[in-house]
Amino acid sequence: MRHDRSHKWLLLPSLLLIIVFLAAPAIYVGWLSVHESTFGKQPVYVGLQNYARLVEDPVFWRAFWNTFFVVNGIAYGELILGLLVAVLIRDQRYGRPLLIAVILAPYAITESSGIVMWRYMLEPDVGILSTLISKIGFGTVAWSSDATATLALASLIAIWHHLPFTFLILFAALLIIPKEILEAAEVDGASRWQRFMRIELRIIIPAILIALMFRYIFAIRLFSEIWLLTQGGPARLSEVLSIYLYKETFQYREFGIASAVGWVMVLMSLAIALPYIVRMYREIARHG
Amino acid sequence: MGKRWISAALKAVCIITLTVWSIGPIALVVLSSFKEAKNIFETPYKVVFWPTTENYRTLYETGPEFFRGLVNSGLISFGAITTTIVVTFLAGYVFARSRKATHNGIAFFMLFIRMLPPIVIVIPLYPVVSYLALNDTHILLVLLYSSFYVSLGAWIMRSFIREIPIELEESAAIDGASLFQMIRMIIIPLSKPGIITVALFVFVFAWNEYVFAMIFTTSGARTAPVVIAEWLSTAEGVQWGTIFAASTIQLVPVMLIVLCLQRYLVTGLTAGAVKG
Repeated sequence: MRHDRSHKWLLLPSLLLIIVFLAAPAIYVGWLSVHESTFGKQPVYVGLQNYARLVEDPVFWRAFWNTFFVVNGIAYGELILGLLVAVLIRDQRYGRPLLIAVILAPYAITESSGIVMWRYMLEPDVGILSTLISKIGFGTVAWSSDATATLALASLIAIWHHLPFTFLILFAALLIIPKEILEAAEVDGASRWQRFMRIELRIIIPAILIALMFRYIFAIRLFSEIWLLTQGGPARLSEVLSIYLYKETFQYREFGIASAVGWVMVLMSLAIALPYIVRMYREIARHG
Repeated sequence: MGKRWISAALKAVCIITLTVWSIGPIALVVLSSFKEAKNIFETPYKVVFWPTTENYRTLYETGPEFFRGLVNSGLISFGAITTTIVVTFLAGYVFARSRKATHNGIAFFMLFIRMLPPIVIVIPLYPVVSYLALNDTHILLVLLYSSFYVSLGAWIMRSFIREIPIELEESAAIDGASLFQMIRMIIIPLSKPGIITVALFVFVFAWNEYVFAMIFTTSGARTAPVVIAEWLSTAEGVQWGTIFAASTIQLVPVMLIVLCLQRYLVTGLTAGAVKG
């Protein structure tokens, strides 16, 4: 078309924003991760020393494994719940729009209000849920002093917040399965469970993988839930990578170490996203 | 017959559990915001009670920073929505219409950028922002939030603009329309659903965002979610009633918008996530 020459100007504002605020800082962080740097001093090249210090730091490993467990818990917890809810709503004949509205509600809540809600229910000795739990006989809820409990609660809140996302992707995938396939299977005598496991689940595998990948990538960024519960405490036991990065930056002013952690997070995210990125690259190259 | 009855009962239990899980926490806080402060932790919890506006009055008298936060949240959301719509609309138009390899490459680059964890950028950004005296300004958060949604926004716009028949533009071009005229007269009116979708995503994000607002603001541009979080982590005892009132006020506009526009959320997610 004859307007093609103006196209690059139309892309400019988007590109500027992305490069200035995301790409350039991310690359700079990579550079900074091989330098020693703190407030008011020129960065000095130190090779992989920052990474070596990370490997030796038990607090880092604690944060790393915390992240590992939290991310997997969130991704798979959400997947299972999301599948259950998607099937439940798909088979629901009445009041579907209302139920979808109910499911989407947590998506509209800010993280800090989400923490307000869950802390209110789980406030030791007085919260509705914590009194219920101790009545059933599971003892007191120690989410602020027991790191495992903190991480479990943070994961639970994250699942609560993001279930709408996973649900919508899986629900949309379930809706476009051709009815004929399921009807044919029913005629052949397949039970509902068989139809779900052997047919529906297989058809929606691409959607499952995409939901999982996005949840992995976004769960790696988890910050607010833990920060607002314990700030990573007690004794830095409930930190995840993003909190470790934040503390190295703003409390200890070790910008080189913080950058090394940042680069670890970047590489983890990219590694998880690689199959998706490759597939999208092929698709774009093929269809434009 | 007995089996069908059991399955209906099971389904009902599932739906009730789902409802309680999903809106129980929200309803509890909204409900409790109308309770007298001394009854907030009463056991057993009373669902039916005489509502009072005590917490809202206390909030009004003791929490002016929360209302300033709401205004800031509104201004920043408005700025981020406008910026994102304009820049992603232009980019999405090019992605939808251009066949050039460089443009495809840029579309791919945007997808790629979406995978980076944004928290990483605070390390270099913080000193630069302080140096430029952009700390605690609305414009900084507007630009940050916009750049976080450029990728998703451009891809959503792309998928919506692609649905518009290119013949319309071709015949307009034959009539001598400029690119600007074509975009204004044909593309913008026909891509309203895409624009609304992007606006919805950006609004929910910008209105609710916590981490970057916490890091980059102190008082002047401090947003409502940060004020709520600060009140929650105070050392001298949490004022639950006031926080409940603040949370309720903060969630009303975004909840209404999400409920009214939920169908755009569905189309946007499938356009932006599943297809790419």
